[in-house]
Amino acid sequence: VDFSRRDFLIGCSAAIAAMGGGRIGHLAFASPTDSTERDILVFVFLRGGCDSLNLVAPTSDGDYINARPNLRVRPDGTNAGWAIGNALPGADFRWHRSAAGLRDLYDGGALAIVHACGLTNGTRSHFDAMDYIERGTPTSKTTASGWITRHLRSIGADGGISTELPAVSASGSIPASMLGSSSAVGVSGVTSFNIQGSYRYGESQQAALRRFYSLGDTPMHDSGIATLDTIDRLNSTPPSPDIEFPAGTPGDLQNALRTIAQLIRMDVGLQVATVDYGGWDTHEQQENPFTARVDGLSRALYTFYNYIYAYHSRITIVVMSEFGRRLKANNTGGTDHGHGGVMLVIGGQVRGGKMYGSWPGLAKEQLDNDVDLAVTTDYRVVLAEILINRLGNPALGQVFPGMDASLYQPLNLVFTSFTSLQPDFTGGGRSLYLPVIAR
Amino acid sequence: MRVSRRRFLGASSAAAASGAALLTSTPMAYAVPPAILSPRQGGPPTPPAIEMIALNRMGFGPRPGDLERVQALGFENYVQEQLSPIDSQDTLLNQRLASAKLRIEYGPWESRISEDLPFSYLDAPLETLWPLANYQIEPEGAKRNRPLDEVIAATWLRAVYSTWQLRELLVDFWHNHFNVYAYTNQAVTTTWPLYDKIMRRNCLGNFRDLLREVAKSIAMQYYLNNASNTSGAPNENYARELFELHTLGSLHYFNTLYGDWEKVPGASEGKPIGYVDDDVYEASRALTGWTIEDGSRHGGITLPNTGRFRFNEPAHDRFQKRVLATNFDNDQKAEDDGERVLKLVSEHPGTAKYLCLKLCRRLVADNPPEALVNRAVAVWTASLNAPDQIKQVVETILRSDEFRANWGQKIKRPFELYVSFLRATGMEFPPNGLFNTDLAYGFSEAAGQRLFYWRPPTGHPDHSTYWLSTAITLRRWNGLNRLTQRDFWRLASGSQAPIPVRALTPSDKVTTRQIVDFWITRLLGREVAAEVREELMRFLARNRGFDVAPTGDAADLEERLNLMVALIGMTPDFQWR
Repeated sequence: VDFSRRDFLIGCSAAIAAMGGGRIGHLAFASPTDSTERDILVFVFLRGGCDSLNLVAPTSDGDYINARPNLRVRPDGTNAGWAIGNALPGADFRWHRSAAGLRDLYDGGALAIVHACGLTNGTRSHFDAMDYIERGTPTSKTTASGWITRHLRSIGADGGISTELPAVSASGSIPASMLGSSSAVGVSGVTSFNIQGSYRYGESQQAALRRFYSLGDTPMHDSGIATLDTIDRLNSTPPSPDIEFPAGTPGDLQNALRTIAQLIRMDVGLQVATVDYGGWDTHEQQENPFTARVDGLSRALYTFYNYIYAYHSRITIVVMSEFGRRLKANNTGGTDHGHGGVMLVIGGQVRGGKMYGSWPGLAKEQLDNDVDLAVTTDYRVVLAEILINRLGNPALGQVFPGMDASLYQPLNLVFTSFTSLQPDFTGGGRSLYLPVIAR
Repeated sequence: MRVSRRRFLGASSAAAASGAALLTSTPMAYAVPPAILSPRQGGPPTPPAIEMIALNRMGFGPRPGDLERVQALGFENYVQEQLSPIDSQDTLLNQRLASAKLRIEYGPWESRISEDLPFSYLDAPLETLWPLANYQIEPEGAKRNRPLDEVIAATWLRAVYSTWQLRELLVDFWHNHFNVYAYTNQAVTTTWPLYDKIMRRNCLGNFRDLLREVAKSIAMQYYLNNASNTSGAPNENYARELFELHTLGSLHYFNTLYGDWEKVPGASEGKPIGYVDDDVYEASRALTGWTIEDGSRHGGITLPNTGRFRFNEPAHDRFQKRVLATNFDNDQKAEDDGERVLKLVSEHPGTAKYLCLKLCRRLVADNPPEALVNRAVAVWTASLNAPDQIKQVVETILRSDEFRANWGQKIKRPFELYVSFLRATGMEFPPNGLFNTDLAYGFSEAAGQRLFYWRPPTGHPDHSTYWLSTAITLRRWNGLNRLTQRDFWRLASGSQAPIPVRALTPSDKVTTRQIVDFWITRLLGREVAAEVREELMRFLARNRGFDVAPTGDAADLEERLNLMVALIGMTPDFQWR
């Protein structure tokens, strides 16, 4: 028997397409999106509110020292942080002592820091903040689609029955940033993504399921078909060698980054991948868990970045959290929900080894609501710059409705591969019906 | 050995081709059926009979005989019955609870002790459970965790076997509404039966009573840090979620009015329609001094070590406060300030709206009709002080026209999917009456819903969209395959493996058509699309006709039968609720 899995898939899908009428927008395998010029974006979300003031710490700031008599990074002695060259003026900024891998990426010119950065909406609710950020609309947490979804849609990479995997959540469940995408898939591991239970009849079960789920057009049916397509896609290419993480790297982060590394090397048409890394909501006894979380993040990203060295010119990694934490430490050794955070941007085309943004200071009148680090850089501006310069998508108004020329003041933190593109602030585009998602 | 994808494909196709009868045109004829593919049909699926809707929405789906029972009883009477559960009449469940065994393994690894013991902590009082959490008194971690493990196992048993399905559904609802991560600390884990009891006691009762019990519970006090919320070291975690998740909901959060509480509509009349951060801060001050007596230093004193709830006056912020535009005088007792906050939020119109929305979402549809929510709100508001407030609201929802409609807009979550599969098949669960840890939570965890194991305070999402990701969809399917595997049952029972599917197939069902029709009826209680039925028959028959007995050696036949039944569980029809 000589046939390729891919031929069969195309035949099968084409048959479904022919019967399905106008439902299928386009067949990605028939006219593949030209994705080879665009960077792959890896979007790492630190869920829980990462204490940006202890990750990239203004160690010499008097207000910082006063507000955190015990819980702070110091310039020397116990809990001394790693020096940061080319930092923002205003303080002696240092990495937390467990961020050695991030320091190395920064010192090697691959990592840029944007401080006092985040959501302009002042919510202190985790869930609301994540909703606003991931939907890309700081005034609405019920927008029916995520910013990544609108990015994919505006470059024609979302929708249709496709064996390409443009959008992958490597942590399993689909984040709000991919809400409304019919191409986004949750993949918890390349080799484990299969029907399990029977060697002999797994294929037959898949065939039966494909028939069941092609008999309707509800989101559940769509999900069933997408699942089967993903199984076929992931199992049609041999997996690449395993990436080895150092001991102590958290398992969930290892799994997610390993999956992404494999997908990148398998060349499955990946455009955006998301990773969730939680455990940052440190209200009590912050020091030890925070140190472990930073250590895990640092080791994982360092290892991952080095593993995919052959793709450095085509990859951008963004790390952010829903907000930072309160300047003043509480009396239980922790910090409460705050405001301004820090974003990290990593990649071969990043103007790294430099801190970006504008430091607002930590005196009472400089703080947001008198208590928290202010936001001087809208996180959307950082993402917008990456969108146009690295992902080749100028449709900033569609991805971030309401963005305009006055708001879009790029920091110039990445080199561009798309010199001819000009930002397009026109919004709109067809909005996909989706029920408002309750969290 | 690793079989390559290509070889595996080739082998199975060759096998299919050699069978011939139905498969002539192409080696892939099995995968691409010779019949013309039906066009995909639009819109929601046809709703089943009201009794079937009721069994799926008011519980975890029918067990064999349930549909006939509800049909004989009538829908209205079934609602009536379910709203007033009587424990003594829960015969089947009571037998199961009494006879079930749950494995416990402890001791050093080189000489591990494994015992299969009955439940002993489900009704245990605080005085029994509290000392058990102390590692100096009970050094074995497995024994300290035993009370939680028993609740998990009992929750599965109750969902599968209880007559009072509506109660089990609502207990699950309240556990998710007042979500606590059961591994927050050892005290929470060990005293979990007490937290579970709060949901069971109040699931059809009065919301304010439920809220008060939750607020003072060991589980919530530790989970959201109110136990350490003192005037010297305030912690707003509980107060924030009290507003945002437990009562008014974030739809009533006016964060744009930060620092401007007077601008919230209604504030000038003392009736703000929503809350701002100031309310959270002031409420957390009002709740200072509420803690658990755990022997720690708290507000300048050393607490006794009893596990009881305590108003610790010295840790209370004694000054005046303003919550939801209501002034609290200074020097009120720790008890009074906090109680006042709970009363304010539990009686707030925003709470009525948010809770009724959530109940309708659980019982009817992801996006329930607004008219239904409004009627529920009216009942909620009129019965604020009624001891059966929740029952009245639930009854309103169940007896509504909307309850009968809106089919095909909500899917079962993984726990509901597996429980409904176990119920519908009539499989013995757990096999031989014995739970091991894998049975208690292993396979459900794989699909993303391990009981009492959800870390954020939101609880498991109730919106289907969350559960429709490809990763979760695949795991849902694989979990059903696992539930029918001989290996799974052997592993689980640790002895002679029962073969549930074959044993449950009546001996007069001989041909492929008879067997498939029997199992479709048993699992779905209604007809399926002709294509689905045909596909199931093709799967079981392989190369044979549908009106003769399927052939193969015993192991092969059993595997196909098991997988065919699992496939029915994977049909779109079986996912709706």
